[in-house]
Amino acid sequence: MSITSEPIAENAADTSGKRRRRKRDKTIHTGESRLAFLLLAPTLIMLTVIVGYPIIKAIYQSFLTDPGLDSSGFFNEGNSWNGLANYKHWLLQQCPGAGGVTESCPTGNLGAQFWSSVGITIGFTVVTVLLETIIGMCFALMMHRAFKGRALVRVAILIPWAIPTAVIAKLWIVIFDPQGVLNNVLGTDFAWTSESGPARAAIVIADVWKTTPFIALLILAGLQGISNEIYESAKVDGANAWQRFWRITLPLVKPALAVAVIFRSLDVLRMYDLPWILTQGANGTTTMSILVVRQLNSGLNSASALSTITFIIIFAIALGLVRLFNANIVERGTR
Amino acid sequence: MSAQTTETPKSGTILNRRKKKSAQGEGDLAETGGFVWTTTAWVLTLIFFAPVAWMFLTSFHSEADAATNPPTLLAGFTLDNYSALFDRGVGPFLINSATASIVSTLLVLALAIPAAYALSIKPVEKWTDVMFFFLSTKFLPSIAALLPIYLLVQKIGGLDNIWILVVLYTAMNLPIAIWMLQSFLAEVPKEIMEAAEVDGAGTLRVIWSVIVPIITPGIAATSLICFIFSWNEFLLAKSLTAVAASTSPVFLVGFITSEGLFLAKLCAAATLVSLPVLIAGFAAQDKLVRGLSLGAVK
Repeated sequence: MSITSEPIAENAADTSGKRRRRKRDKTIHTGESRLAFLLLAPTLIMLTVIVGYPIIKAIYQSFLTDPGLDSSGFFNEGNSWNGLANYKHWLLQQCPGAGGVTESCPTGNLGAQFWSSVGITIGFTVVTVLLETIIGMCFALMMHRAFKGRALVRVAILIPWAIPTAVIAKLWIVIFDPQGVLNNVLGTDFAWTSESGPARAAIVIADVWKTTPFIALLILAGLQGISNEIYESAKVDGANAWQRFWRITLPLVKPALAVAVIFRSLDVLRMYDLPWILTQGANGTTTMSILVVRQLNSGLNSASALSTITFIIIFAIALGLVRLFNANIVERGTR
Repeated sequence: MSAQTTETPKSGTILNRRKKKSAQGEGDLAETGGFVWTTTAWVLTLIFFAPVAWMFLTSFHSEADAATNPPTLLAGFTLDNYSALFDRGVGPFLINSATASIVSTLLVLALAIPAAYALSIKPVEKWTDVMFFFLSTKFLPSIAALLPIYLLVQKIGGLDNIWILVVLYTAMNLPIAIWMLQSFLAEVPKEIMEAAEVDGAGTLRVIWSVIVPIITPGIAATSLICFIFSWNEFLLAKSLTAVAASTSPVFLVGFITSEGLFLAKLCAAATLVSLPVLIAGFAAQDKLVRGLSLGAVK
């Protein structure tokens, strides 16, 4: 039972508190700001150094050339200014051609796979996050209810998430193998990872199975705060179970759900380990991060440009997601 | 559980509800824990849990039994797979993993609780931008961030050092920890915070003695999530450690690769590495539900 997500109670507290707070804010506002900054400073500094540095570095490198043979056949040491050429390579599929002219990349070139990898990544994200949210919500509601053995279920459900991806992916290889466990159980003889549809399905199944506990745990934590009284008064008002879910549970659990969906989306958008181990990106499973991994072998600076593009795409999606859940987050934060 | 029993309904809406709910706890169990619900819950869990059970059982089989078609679930019982794991020296790797996960989780809490408090209670200008900045640390493909981090760590001579992993895991988990804790803190009635401030309590004391007890379930969930993320982390551990500071996921993948795809050993490895998480889960799940004693607030 944590502190609630109860708009009703919150509003009641707000109206009485707001007036008082306004007065207080004026007098000690500067002091509070400084204090808040002090509390935030260690975190901000740490993240700026450890996470900010690689981002700046990637952006800088993305404007440099990679070593290799240049268009006139001379060896180029790389790391000279390249302008937007790396970006053009990915976004417009422009490859250096003979005689110094740029031409469109041949099929099979990594650059030519860029847009399909964007589509595949976003497809994976939408499908897995949606499935994980729905199943995770079911599990959370289930674990929230009181029943015998609840504690055991709560812990047991964590197991898939508790096993490192690298290990679990190997286990799925065994399961999806043509002579593997799944075919044995189903009595079929199907090569799961050799066609794009089933290969994608295999990755989605493996990812949903592994990460649903994460979302379930977050929603469960959010559910702890909802008091029974709200449900009871809704019942008195004649709301059925479905209405109670849509009108009470969902809005009140939204802050926790927002955190779960946003962070989960950011992880799937950068997913590479699971598809890499299951299919090596073959059969239409090349995500943006797998493309980065592949490109790293042939040119660091071009890979940096790809990383920067990925960064910007995810930035835009994150902005959209935050806006989507905004109502809750911002209203609570500002006062 | 709570010291306050005589709040008026108006001033103590949330507090009273909370109190009532806790008092009703056992009653709920009888009321809602009906047979149908219990059965449904267990069936759902079992479907989800079937691969885990299969993995667990297979880990105690010999490789020959594990490879049969269709899979036998109740073949001869053997501890060979586990002894193979320990023969290869999994112990130090488990200790490294535990160190990195536990210390980084504690560090995350120490940094994230004050930060989330500052973001949700104190009026921070442009706080949404700050929250989005935390999010932005999750936009770059992790594989792309690896090389600059590797070079940075190499420069300061921190390769194969467990404390470097602790610092990196802390940075890795801070954003989600702050977002989670902030979502819990945003719902603490401002009166509670203000009452404590007016009494002249120092900020850190307010956080420790007022805020922390109220959001215990949130803290429990956050810790568990940070612990599991660190426990499972593979990329950084693989790249930045060699022998002395290597963690169990790195060991396990090496073990699997060197042994070939032997199913029973793979299952034993997966089972072994999930055990500490189960222990952490048991420790946290208690707090996750019980949480909150408002006696401290009053």
